[in-house]
Amino acid sequence: MEILLAIMIAVLTSCGIYLILRLRTFPVVVGLTLLSYAVNLFLFAMGRLTLNAPAVIGATDQYTDPLPQALVLTAIVIGFAMTAFLMALALRAWGEFGNDHVDGTAIPGSDGDDRR
Amino acid sequence: MSVLFAIVLLPLIAALLPRLVQSMGRSTVAIVTALPVLLALLLLLGTAPSVLVDGELLQAAVPWLPQAGLMLAFRLDGLAWLFALLILGIGLLVIVYGHYYLEKSDSGGRFFSLLLLFMAAMLGVVCSDNLLLLVVFWELTSISSFLLIGYWSGQAAARKGARMALTLTGAGGLALLAGVILIGQTVGSYDLGTVLASGDLIRSHALYPLMLVLVLLGVFTKSAQFPFHFWLPHAMSAPTPVSAYLHSATMVKAGVFLLARFYPALAGTDLWFVLVSSIGLVTLLLGAWMALFRHDLKGLLAYSTISHLGLITLLFGLSTRLAAVAAVFHVINHATFKASLFMAAGIIDHETGTRDIRKLGGLRRYLPHTMALATVASMAMAGVPLLNGFLSKEMFFAEAADTPLYGSLNWLVPTLATIAGMLSVAYSLRFVHDVFFGPVPAALVAHAPHEPRRLMRVPVEVLVLLCLAVGVFPAVVVGPLLAAAATATLGGELPEYSLAIWHGLNVPFLMSLLALTGGVAIYVWRAPLFALQRRWPRPHAPAIFEQAVQALVAVAGRFVRFIDNGALQRYVSWLMLPVALIMLAAMASRPDWLGEHALTPVDGLSILATIVAVLAALATVVLRRQRLVALLMISVVGLIVSLAFLRLSAPDLALTQLSVEVVTVLLLMLAMYFLPSRGVIESTWWDRSRDLFLSLSIGVGVGLLALFAMTHPGATISTFFIDNSIPGGGGANVVNVILVDFRGFDTLGEITVLAIAAAGIYALLENLGLCLPIYDPEGRPWAKDRSPLVLQMISRAVLPIALLVAMYILVRGHNMPGGGFIAGLITAVALVLQYVASGVHWVHARVPHNYHPLVAFGVLLAGLTGLASLLLGYPFLTSTFEYIYWPIVGKFELASAMLFDLGVYITVVGATLLILARLGKLSVVEQEEGN
Amino acid sequence: MLSFALNAAFVMVGIAMLLGSWRVLVGPSLTDRVLALDTLYINSIALIVLFGIYLGTSMYFEAALLIALIGFVSTVAVAKYLLRGDIIE
Repeated sequence: MEILLAIMIAVLTSCGIYLILRLRTFPVVVGLTLLSYAVNLFLFAMGRLTLNAPAVIGATDQYTDPLPQALVLTAIVIGFAMTAFLMALALRAWGEFGNDHVDGTAIPGSDGDDRR
Repeated sequence: MSVLFAIVLLPLIAALLPRLVQSMGRSTVAIVTALPVLLALLLLLGTAPSVLVDGELLQAAVPWLPQAGLMLAFRLDGLAWLFALLILGIGLLVIVYGHYYLEKSDSGGRFFSLLLLFMAAMLGVVCSDNLLLLVVFWELTSISSFLLIGYWSGQAAARKGARMALTLTGAGGLALLAGVILIGQTVGSYDLGTVLASGDLIRSHALYPLMLVLVLLGVFTKSAQFPFHFWLPHAMSAPTPVSAYLHSATMVKAGVFLLARFYPALAGTDLWFVLVSSIGLVTLLLGAWMALFRHDLKGLLAYSTISHLGLITLLFGLSTRLAAVAAVFHVINHATFKASLFMAAGIIDHETGTRDIRKLGGLRRYLPHTMALATVASMAMAGVPLLNGFLSKEMFFAEAADTPLYGSLNWLVPTLATIAGMLSVAYSLRFVHDVFFGPVPAALVAHAPHEPRRLMRVPVEVLVLLCLAVGVFPAVVVGPLLAAAATATLGGELPEYSLAIWHGLNVPFLMSLLALTGGVAIYVWRAPLFALQRRWPRPHAPAIFEQAVQALVAVAGRFVRFIDNGALQRYVSWLMLPVALIMLAAMASRPDWLGEHALTPVDGLSILATIVAVLAALATVVLRRQRLVALLMISVVGLIVSLAFLRLSAPDLALTQLSVEVVTVLLLMLAMYFLPSRGVIESTWWDRSRDLFLSLSIGVGVGLLALFAMTHPGATISTFFIDNSIPGGGGANVVNVILVDFRGFDTLGEITVLAIAAAGIYALLENLGLCLPIYDPEGRPWAKDRSPLVLQMISRAVLPIALLVAMYILVRGHNMPGGGFIAGLITAVALVLQYVASGVHWVHARVPHNYHPLVAFGVLLAGLTGLASLLLGYPFLTSTFEYIYWPIVGKFELASAMLFDLGVYITVVGATLLILARLGKLSVVEQEEGN
Repeated sequence: MLSFALNAAFVMVGIAMLLGSWRVLVGPSLTDRVLALDTLYINSIALIVLFGIYLGTSMYFEAALLIALIGFVSTVAVAKYLLRGDIIE
């Protein structure tokens, strides 16, 4: 299970960062979402993996580490707020500059996804 | 010893006053400035019997940052007493002088405030008993002198001079700080007494050369020693009282003060001798030579000051005990005659409107009184017998003649010292003769200058009188003070010396005689020298300095632009590269990624889910240009992440992830509608491979790191939370108890962030006009039906059920998976569904839709719950709980943490709706305007 | 008996998810993908319930409840988007 989770974290991180390095705002936000999944999973993994032992007293005889879970829970919600903020920023930039380039200024002759 | 604190802190506190009473007239300002200084001076004089006569060491200390070795500690020994006397005494005279010097248009309040601030800083430097405290005050002198030099901030020269002084002395201060820290680390204490007693330890330390050089950098920049001397002439654009005070008597003396202070700790090595004496010698000669050719009165005095500071430095460098005594003596003498000369120059400038020697002459007719004073002071500067300058110069010549340390070059030091003496005589003569004698230039005749107000001359008179008194009765006037200061400098027994005027016909006297006659000769035949000097190739130090600064700025700018050229991509890449490198290097150094920790068993469904998630993530990247598809892929990933949380015993996380998933998709879809989707141009092969390389390296690094962590046993602090969840927090769901109880403060912070983000988004989208796409990405027109009936009906039915579930999740959250965050998200989703199905107008007609107060109320409720416990005498956010019995429901627990969770719930609902409804309303406003 | 039924159910739900995922990934049309995603959500409900029965705990059932309650909202939003572009108007 550890190996599976590590693979998932690795792939999500890679995909997220690759998307963050794009030049238009929408893929960047999508990339950030993917990266938040990866970061949340990573933080969660720091509590080590335990099967069938939720941290609810009395439900089982052993408990998983609840602390990373508490951290990740708020991180998920804050991650949403951050994504929303970035999206609002992107919308504002689109409204102000008339393009959706991450730098606010499209390089002349290109309105592409990837070109710098 | 509260007296000590009073002496240092009186000017500091009083620095506030002049600006406060500024409106009450110039005289009031001057009196308010002078009184605390006078008081401090009297307090200082009151300690004279114990410090000077009994040789006591007064100390006072209050801990400031004892962990860092920083103490608010002061000491008053002979050396500190001498400098404090100079600072307060000359300071008082300068205040009187400055009151008459300043024009009506100048802000007296600001001037005197800064002057007092500087005075306090100087007193702090000389009285510090702690090395770090000393550096603090040292920096304060740099800053306050920067402000004083740039007092006439309207003048470009003043600004430039101030900046140059600050740059050099500030840089020197940093070097000094480094040196002091090294010394403190070596000795193990920043206490001055301890450091001074550990001279042998410091000198034998391997890093001694570094410490010495660093401290000397501070000294040389502050005391304008070669090659850092050039800031001082440029600081002459300061008002003359400032020059008289800072640039003759006090600030530039801070450097030599430090030489004296650290003399027992650092001096006595060959390195000290070579560095200090050679720099002093070069500065002595260079300053005297340059002073001769200055046409600006203050410029002449500035270079003369540089030269005299070089002399003092040279004396400390010679490393004999007698030389140190001579150095201390010359500090006193130079301060008195140079301050009076600056003041005289200021009077001349004030009365004639110029400081250019070429435009002055014959002033004895107009300013006879000033002439007399300036002549005596100049003679003291030149070293004429019966004046104080003669005595210390005599001692200097004696020491120079006795220096055996340069080996076969023994003749060099006395010869150069005599030449410097000649030059000093020559420029002193020029100062007096060119200004007060000779023909009166025509422009001056028309100007008809006259003597200034009586009181403006009093400070000069006092100082000149002191020059005379010391010169004639040295042993009586200055003997005890010099003895005490020199004892403190040497940190031990005083050598034999005599303060008599006449020591017989010996080598020093002959050197003095030679200097006097030679100086007169140089002055008489100065014309060829001036011609020579004009042709002399002069490296223009300020220009070089300016160029160096510009070059540094340019290099820094290029470097910054290289990393951050305004393109996010470049910037993020530079951020990611080190992350990747560090992580991969760390992982390469520990190849046991798969630790001994037993792996949890795998099942087929988990493998399947992982494969799907990986494929969906890759598909998100590959299909990113078909945005809706990318969005669906993201949803798949999110769903599988939620299932993973569930599988790995984190039901709370699964619930949160599921509901956040929905709102994220809604959010992205709202934005997608507005953002343009057309236009795709292939990127270069290089950019893509770079991004691919970066993302793959980081992905692999993070994956390995996660694997490493998961398969190695780790210590956890969660046992405490699990053990105390029910007894301490009254809840069985440990995750929720951590959120609302153990780490409630964190959660409070997090919902505050959420609220701020929501408010920020609201503000960002204010007045934003976006054009609405008329066609969908495939070019088809949109459907006509705004709110499909089936959707409306179903979603309305969902709302009450969803609210019920949300309440259930909220209430049970303390004991079972759930809680405020999840319940809030469910409620928000259910309400947003109404927006989607029935439109903004429908919802706003039925639901209170001002979400700002709701968010604020949520945060406040959570905060107040914490404050309530504070009121009851418990720490912030302490929770309490009680079991009550409700009919039907049975035993039910009420915890104050639940109220907190309710606050979280309200905040989450409010913030989510605020964000989504605001985004949704963008098009509504647009359409209303369009209609 | 129960364990056999459970295992069989797991396998069947697994196959259903696999096929659903396949459809989400390859499409070909957008509608296919949306429907497949919705199916994946439904399958997840089944999976969670089976999982709960398998472990003999009701701890995880709320997740199923949640998916059933709000899982369709994204689908609705996508549908609305396809129709109108603007999902909140």
